[in-house]
Amino acid sequence: MWRDAALVAGKDLRIELRSRVALNQVAPFAVLVLVLFAFALDPDRDVLVRAAAGLFWVAVLLSSLLAVQRSAALEANDGVADSQRLSSLDPAGIFLGKAAAVALQLAVLEVLLGVGVVVLYDVHLKGVLTLVATAVAATVGLAAAGTLYGVLAAGLRVRETLLPLLLLPVVAPVLIAATRASEAALTGLSLDVTPGDWLRLLAVFAVIYLAFGVVAYGALMEDS
Amino acid sequence: MNTRNTGRRGTGTAVTMTLGIAALASLAATYAVGLSLPRTYEQGDYSKLIAIHPGIAWASYVAFGVTALASALWLWPRTRSLAWDLLAGASAEVGVLFTALTLITGSIWGRPTWGAWWVWDARLTLSALELMLLLGYLALRRVPADSEVRARRSALAALLAVLVVPVNHYAVQWWRTLHQGGSLSLTPKDALDGKFIFAMVLGFLAMTLVYAWLTVHRFRVAQLEEDLVDDDLDAALEARRREAVTA
Amino acid sequence: MTYVWAGYGITLAVLAAYAGWVVHRGRSLK
Repeated sequence: MWRDAALVAGKDLRIELRSRVALNQVAPFAVLVLVLFAFALDPDRDVLVRAAAGLFWVAVLLSSLLAVQRSAALEANDGVADSQRLSSLDPAGIFLGKAAAVALQLAVLEVLLGVGVVVLYDVHLKGVLTLVATAVAATVGLAAAGTLYGVLAAGLRVRETLLPLLLLPVVAPVLIAATRASEAALTGLSLDVTPGDWLRLLAVFAVIYLAFGVVAYGALMEDS
Repeated sequence: MNTRNTGRRGTGTAVTMTLGIAALASLAATYAVGLSLPRTYEQGDYSKLIAIHPGIAWASYVAFGVTALASALWLWPRTRSLAWDLLAGASAEVGVLFTALTLITGSIWGRPTWGAWWVWDARLTLSALELMLLLGYLALRRVPADSEVRARRSALAALLAVLVVPVNHYAVQWWRTLHQGGSLSLTPKDALDGKFIFAMVLGFLAMTLVYAWLTVHRFRVAQLEEDLVDDDLDAALEARRREAVTA
Repeated sequence: MTYVWAGYGITLAVLAAYAGWVVHRGRSLK
């Protein structure tokens, strides 16, 4: 399973390196979202700084939609799905590989957005360890859930409009947890609910979706 | 004429007739009792909503649970049957109704206490998320596909939605405690008076019966729709066969 | 009080409308 995962992850990432869709389209989109938020909210007041964590994660969420759509589309074209089914690749491995590729792309996007938030919103980074841990946990969960819903909606002509409707409500808790943990790290305030609690929630989410994917991806592949 | 279930014109049977009468009667009673509840000091007339809002919310949870359970039963090979998938879909549709009503009645009930239509109360926010999950599930079901494919896709989507519920619960709960010290209780303190509890329980009963009646009928309609698809398919195959023979 | 009536009313209206639709659909499919 792990070898197949590495194979598939490598394939997806190589396609990305050659086509540079994430680099040329998703990354600018992500930064654009940050800029649009600045237009929508008044940058002269503290609003942007206070909202920065939330805006960052919303931008990540929206970008993840694009990344996941792209990942699902790779299989939807040219009968790739059929050849995958016929190949002896372990479906669980395919799931993990695709999820890993998406996670890696999201990680790069998050670094870019992090720079964007520091530069555009004048955010001073604190509690970097917590921020990184939050990002890792959230990203794994997002990638797993996204890959799952990606294959669920794969091959459907309505995939573009259906996937956001399916995925966004499901990842709402990731948004809540990641934002609150990031905020706590940036402001250094300690409250009843600690960043540790939020991190644990993110971890639970990630584990649930990873486990479900490993178990169910094969069945979902059959139907697309 | 399709005589599935009954020889009658519609989807009714003796059982659903009884269920329907019980549902209607208890609903009428709930309305009568609820609307005649006294005003309270804290919420004035709004406490009358205790007769319907908790019952509606409860029914929405039941709907969600039935969809999840039916999906699991379909997925389990030993109990697999298209009926479970159709039930899951029917319950989800009725669930959308009750969830939306939960949000509407909850929003109205909260207005005197909150001074606004919506303040992101933990429980209502969770209901809003649940509504989104159900709508996504129903959208997925509407994508044209072979019944088995649709059933598997929907069942897995339903399970995913259910798995996220506890995570949602904690996320929203913790999120709101940061701002309000616990989710707002919609039950006014002096409503522990027996009249109010009675109204609430009556509401639970009525809404559960209404949910059951609506879901059974929706389920039967779904079965009829499946039969129609099968009939169309058989007719098309028959037509093709006849062409082949005469050719 | 108007809003309370609205709450009760909308609930009844929505449930009745759906009930009507589901019964009608059942009859027309048979």
